[in-house]
Amino acid sequence: MRYEYTVETEDLAKYYQMGEVVVKALDGINLRIRRGEYLSIMGPSGSGKTTLFNMIGGLDRPTRGRVYIDEVDISKLDAYELAWLRCRKIGYIFQTFNLIPVLTALENVTLPMIFAGVPREERLRRAIELLTKVGLGDRLHHKPAELSGGQQQRVAIARALANDPVIVLADEPTGNLDLHTGLEIITMLRNLNKEKGVTVFTATHDLKMIDVSDRIVWIRDGKIDRIEKRVDVVVSMEEM
Amino acid sequence: MSGAVGEARREVRFPISEAFRFSVESIRKRFTRALITAISIVLGVAFYVGLRTMSDIMIFIYGGSEAARSYQFWMAIISLIVCAVGILNSMLMAVTERTREIGTMKCLGAMDSHILMIFLIESSLIGIIGGVMGAVIGWVTGLLIYVGEHAAILFNPALLGSYALRIGEGVLIAMVLTVGATIYPAYYAASMDPADALRFEL
Repeated sequence: MRYEYTVETEDLAKYYQMGEVVVKALDGINLRIRRGEYLSIMGPSGSGKTTLFNMIGGLDRPTRGRVYIDEVDISKLDAYELAWLRCRKIGYIFQTFNLIPVLTALENVTLPMIFAGVPREERLRRAIELLTKVGLGDRLHHKPAELSGGQQQRVAIARALANDPVIVLADEPTGNLDLHTGLEIITMLRNLNKEKGVTVFTATHDLKMIDVSDRIVWIRDGKIDRIEKRVDVVVSMEEM
Repeated sequence: MSGAVGEARREVRFPISEAFRFSVESIRKRFTRALITAISIVLGVAFYVGLRTMSDIMIFIYGGSEAARSYQFWMAIISLIVCAVGILNSMLMAVTERTREIGTMKCLGAMDSHILMIFLIESSLIGIIGGVMGAVIGWVTGLLIYVGEHAAILFNPALLGSYALRIGEGVLIAMVLTVGATIYPAYYAASMDPADALRFEL
């Protein structure tokens, strides 16, 4: 069954109590992400991008509102189903890469497949295939500390794809990378989106991301400021 | 058909054989860290077993007056506390510094119980190895101190039983403290929302 919207949020809000003050990190976000869409959340730091990433990824609980992944309300999931969702439906990419430091690139990529119950031979075969695809076929047995930032992020992309997720969530994926490497990662995400139809959601303030996004959602102080379609941008460029 | 959670039982799996393999790998790869942790267990248990062995020998040789027994009792309590603090401290540190790793594993589909299983196996292995080594080292040290003057009586059958008891106590203490001091912070980290665990800084 194919769902029209991979992600839907309904009046999503997250408040933090900071001493006396209530900080509204997110305040009533209504967002629909189509299957196969490449959507970027843009906004200054502190605007609520990462909070939104955490909510959609089921990594944190909202104060109010709902998140649906493939039309399932994730607040209604029990611990088993939530783990299953994180394991099989969502692939995560972080600014700080978050690879397991003691595991090699190959082992980092096989880890989510262990939880998915993929047999050992199949795990290795698939992990090697994924790492080769991201250009790290010759770095399989290197640990994260022996890889550059860009290489670590590519391992993270391979790991995010391990269980064929319906959506890849990326939080500032280029935040710790130089311009050139950042562009490589963005191109890789775009190709993934184009070729495999994986829905991609990035939270970023990297303007390079605008060129590849189908839609850009600008948020400010926890609210949606405006939504732009890239089509508009393309049309205006052709007119020139 | 793919999609909706709940149309069939959707579960992540982590068989105990995988957990065991993962734990052993984890110890092997962090060998230096595991060694430091193990050394603190070895020292703590050796201290305890050594003192208790010596007091057993002393009471055997000189007999136990009320005052001597009381003194020995307090020595035992102190050695136990020193041993416990050493083990608790190093295990708490070793797990707390892995909070972010625990958050990452939860993003990849690990359940709280899987994480506890990994840490339970890891700490049991370190606890047993450290405990046995510490108990034997402590016992041998205890014997060496008396071997000059009292070599003849050290292996008196009446003492053998108490040696076995002290070594058993030492291993048990190491196991209980190591596992306990690991499971508590591991449980704490695993029950955090992954977002909080990932943000965690020591």
